[in-house]
Amino acid sequence: MMATPQMSPQSNGVSLIAFAKEHARPSRSFKGCSSINDYDILGKLGEGTFGEVHRAKSKKTGAIVALKKILMHNEKDGFPITALREIKLLKLLSHPNILKLEEMAVEHHTKPTDKRKRAIMYMVTPYMDHDLSGLLENPKVKLQESHIKCYLLQLLEGLRYLHENQILHRDMKAANLLINNKGILQIADFGLARHYDEDPPKAGMGGGEATRDYTTLVVTRWYRPPELLLQLRKYTSAIDLWGVGCVFGEMLIGKPILSGDSDANQLKIITDLVGTPNDETMPGWRLLPGAEGLNFPPHPSTLAQRFRQYGSGAISLLNELLKLDWRKRINAIDALKHPYFRDQPLPAKPGDLPTFEDSHELDRRKFKSQKAAPPPAPKGGTVGMGPQQGGWGGEPTVNGGYVNGDSHHNGHRHQNGSRYPPHGDHRNGVPPPPPPDGRRPAWARPRDDRPDTRLPPRPPVNYAGYDGPRDSRDERPPADRENYRSRSRDLDRGPPPRSRPGGPNVDTYIPSYGPDSGRRDDRPPRDRDDRRRRDDPRDERPRHDSHRDRDRGLDYDDRRSRRTRSRSRSPLPDRDRGERPREREPLPDRDIYRR
Amino acid sequence: MSHLSNPIATADQVFTNVTNNVLPLELQDSVRFYTARLTQAAGILLRLPQSITAQANVLLYRYWLVDDIMRHEFSDLSAAVIYLAAKISASPRSLRSITNVYAYLISTSSTLSGTTVPEPDPKSYYLSENTYITKRNKLLHIEGQTLNALGFNTHVALPHPLAITYLQTMDVFTSPKTGKEVAKRTIEYLNTALLSPQMLYLTHQPASLATAAIYLAARDKSVRLPECEWWEVFDCEREELGFLVVGMGSLEGVVKREAERWGKEKGMISRKDVREEMWKMGIRNENEVEEPLDEEDELNKLLDARVGA
Repeated sequence: MMATPQMSPQSNGVSLIAFAKEHARPSRSFKGCSSINDYDILGKLGEGTFGEVHRAKSKKTGAIVALKKILMHNEKDGFPITALREIKLLKLLSHPNILKLEEMAVEHHTKPTDKRKRAIMYMVTPYMDHDLSGLLENPKVKLQESHIKCYLLQLLEGLRYLHENQILHRDMKAANLLINNKGILQIADFGLARHYDEDPPKAGMGGGEATRDYTTLVVTRWYRPPELLLQLRKYTSAIDLWGVGCVFGEMLIGKPILSGDSDANQLKIITDLVGTPNDETMPGWRLLPGAEGLNFPPHPSTLAQRFRQYGSGAISLLNELLKLDWRKRINAIDALKHPYFRDQPLPAKPGDLPTFEDSHELDRRKFKSQKAAPPPAPKGGTVGMGPQQGGWGGEPTVNGGYVNGDSHHNGHRHQNGSRYPPHGDHRNGVPPPPPPDGRRPAWARPRDDRPDTRLPPRPPVNYAGYDGPRDSRDERPPADRENYRSRSRDLDRGPPPRSRPGGPNVDTYIPSYGPDSGRRDDRPPRDRDDRRRRDDPRDERPRHDSHRDRDRGLDYDDRRSRRTRSRSRSPLPDRDRGERPREREPLPDRDIYRR
Repeated sequence: MSHLSNPIATADQVFTNVTNNVLPLELQDSVRFYTARLTQAAGILLRLPQSITAQANVLLYRYWLVDDIMRHEFSDLSAAVIYLAAKISASPRSLRSITNVYAYLISTSSTLSGTTVPEPDPKSYYLSENTYITKRNKLLHIEGQTLNALGFNTHVALPHPLAITYLQTMDVFTSPKTGKEVAKRTIEYLNTALLSPQMLYLTHQPASLATAAIYLAARDKSVRLPECEWWEVFDCEREELGFLVVGMGSLEGVVKREAERWGKEKGMISRKDVREEMWKMGIRNENEVEEPLDEEDELNKLLDARVGA
């Protein structure tokens, strides 16, 4: 545990020794996995793309745990490499603010006919009561500033530990932050994490510089930093800090602060918030591959204005975290020392935080009885999602110069996109930016006639460079739309990939197996699923509005690929819609474990 | 993060594992040595970095600590661990390459035996599509078994990089020539120790292994190390060092003994060889059931025969 002594557990109220004792495992022995029979299953918690999650009680220790089933997507290659890497990383990590992998449990098939089938593997982690995203969605939960500071400190502690140990998380978002009723926050989901080949960040030095290329197909869109949107490949640990900034803002205002519905739109709303990049705020941005053909009308930061009610401390820290220049963006070490945490109100102690159990339980029951909303397909903004989903290249017919300028990336990304789909698929746990349309299978659509009680869409916002002709294709009858889609799917494929498909990529998340790498390609290319065929004039609309579109859309691919995708969707319409404006679909408890 | 240390087998564990085994100790040693050597050879042919091959061999020994040594064919197990170790590394290898390499290594054309290089006979290591698929499925099955037995603990800390750091610390590289020689010999000792049936990598932490290898290498190359008890600086006690020095030096004897038992030309032993040897030694194991013939295997052989005809 080389890093443990340096962390400051006082800030999150966990004594080091107590932590070590609690987490000591019999390291001096080899023992295999435990059996699923060592656990009493208490019920299903949710279903992610990664697989089902159950709540269970350990017969040995009595501890309540979460069992996450690992799906065997591609048995041709044996145990999924993504899961193997996640397990390996989690086993190496040990920190109060990192979700611990207790062990692996195995379930053997009992029927003789199934003997030839593989056993099912479960990852066993402590049961956490909420995830931050679910918590913020809960209308009964009102986080006070001292609570926010407490959670933020824990998040930064965990992240500092990760970065110190040269690990990039690469999927920082509220839904991946788990919280229990003792007020402890833990970072979860290491499905996209990887070893970082550079030196760990140093105090006062931001994220430093990277010397090698990494894949840009990481981080859920709403939390994706501008340098990734602009295709910087030599990125640093600063990408995780941008995510922290987004989460911080989300805790303050109670909903995601940058919920773009396409990569282009994401970039636009980022610049709306923190100002347009120029040689001063983001030196070298022009040279980034994704900046080609981009033109931003100069426009100052509105961050201070938007967050003015939260005081100058919060604004100052947010400014540091949401800095366009990734070299100057604050690192976790420095962020922990930010005056914001020393200003009144002081951060609460984790033990002093209120428990949210009641409201959470209620919610859960309510959702359960209704089989609530289908999970938001974690398809958008996922790894492997190229810019296509927005106006970047999805529509050859309406492209402005901006899009054309980028079209070669488009092809390139597309290729990657279809190579990596499984990730997004498993991993992206969650509320990937709900793409506004075409996500629902046919059976989930019949709700259009319901009066929409929510806010009306905002009037179209004109933003130079982003809007091609913005039509409202979605207003056409579904059949039409489908036709359009199936046609455009072909158009969409864009220019031929520049590199040989399956060829080795820099920092491939799934290793390339060279000639016999075809195996990865037999999965349905996920990224087509929610590529949007239009630029929506309502890009700027409040987010709950996107919900409607989603319900209505007929996703061509959805039905086709459902058989390979594991995430099951609820066949029932989402009855609780309208009870409160739900920003996002993921149910608190479901969400926690969705991958 | 525990990058530098490994989970270690307890004396108890090693003892019960070794004594409760159906195989007599000497045959266990043979199996361990030959299989590890096979993994090493495959690693070279697959052009894997040595770190991955070394990890594979450590995983192999770990697996045998938990599961029955006779449960899988040795060469298949070796192939499965190397596949697994490569898969989680930065240099994965395809099942196709691995099965090809192993087919070659256990064939009669294999150069593994060392003394004479046989005329290559491609027929002896050709893998038909059917055999390949059967093999692949077998390897994937064993991969699952291995992961299960290891509790998914696939991280292996190796002593090699530590050893270089230690050498630097002791200023061995001030004279580049001898420094290089000592370093080379140190690494050789560490790689040799991987094949040791004493399972040194399971019972000792990387720091101790590195220290012992440096001690031996310096002695071999007559390089003077500090007079004081320098090993203590590297968390290795005198007794442990003594044990490891003997252990690392003993592999030569093991190899000679094995060559006498199995013949100099023997590249790799199989479960069948071991069973026959037990028979010769007068050990009958009533519990041991003759391996049921794999239906799939048989079918494939039949198919291949037809296609070949």
